[in-house]
Amino acid sequence: MELLPFFEWAETTFLGYIGKTYGGVYATFGQSLHLMALAVLGGSVLVADLRLLNVIMKDVPSEIVTEQAHKWFRIALVVIICTGIFMAAAVAQRMYHNDFFWAKMSALLVGIIFVFAIKRPLLKGSHADLNPIVIKMVACASILVWFSVAATGRWIGFSG
Amino acid sequence: MINEMLVQFAEWLYATGGSRAIEESFYLYNWIETTHVLTIMVCLGMLAFIDLRMLGYALPNVSASTIADRLNVPMMIGFAIMFVTGLLLFYAKPTYTNQSIWFRIKMVLLVVAFFNAIRFHRHMKASASTWCNEPRAPFNLRVSAALSLGLWAGVVTTGRLIAYDWYHCYRDLPGWLSAAAGCVAE
Repeated sequence: MELLPFFEWAETTFLGYIGKTYGGVYATFGQSLHLMALAVLGGSVLVADLRLLNVIMKDVPSEIVTEQAHKWFRIALVVIICTGIFMAAAVAQRMYHNDFFWAKMSALLVGIIFVFAIKRPLLKGSHADLNPIVIKMVACASILVWFSVAATGRWIGFSG
Repeated sequence: MINEMLVQFAEWLYATGGSRAIEESFYLYNWIETTHVLTIMVCLGMLAFIDLRMLGYALPNVSASTIADRLNVPMMIGFAIMFVTGLLLFYAKPTYTNQSIWFRIKMVLLVVAFFNAIRFHRHMKASASTWCNEPRAPFNLRVSAALSLGLWAGVVTTGRLIAYDWYHCYRDLPGWLSAAAGCVAE
């Protein structure tokens, strides 16, 4: 499926126009908010996964920590996606030709599938019933995936 | 006077081999910047959870002092790496960064955030035993937590804006802005 026409159209939308015309709006409501949401997402991932790895808050049940962290993960993810769409719309055609944009989108998709199809269903019940090795592998994979999303996102600006 | 001294210092830094090596290396500079961004996730992510706990929005059923104590170590590790990579980024582009109004506002916000953190820890230590199992911290700690979130949001925003040269010295700036940005007569 040819996606270029979609990216060309995205640049002509209201979001694309605002982002392209008003640099201040693009930088603050796009880039800065995106970074702040990334900080919250990173915090929620690390709080939950470092607890699953028994690195922090060993005296607090991991079920409570992962459940609470997930609430903020969802909020941060929504903000990241909304600000990401706004930013991408302004430079959509450049994004289409940027390899790191596609790397980030792939990592983001893997991250979302991993969280909602694997991690959440697995950790829904009592963690004591799960193999500790599996829990630790899930935590490591989660940190790796979300830090890859952030790193590839930063490299979008360095290439193309 | 101080702006002239800062410009001289920045020019001296810019002339050193290390500064040139970092700026001219595509991979080194960009990986330092990427690490700086990744540590935002570690440092500010942990800080956000501590502040949100004080405000009653995260982990309200877990003791506030437990959250603050346990998240403090990874937060400080993240901060240390963020600080070092931040220094290296300044070292790579000292003349440009020194005369960025956004960089200067960021530094002021960092200093205010530092004093707010000291105030927060002092109040926390003095009173935690009386309220730490409550879902929300007392009013003065909530103010500190909200201020901390606001200040760090400002640090992130101004940090991001350093890349934009809308108010740089080679632009036509009003006198007060020119002085605040550290512009000096050629």
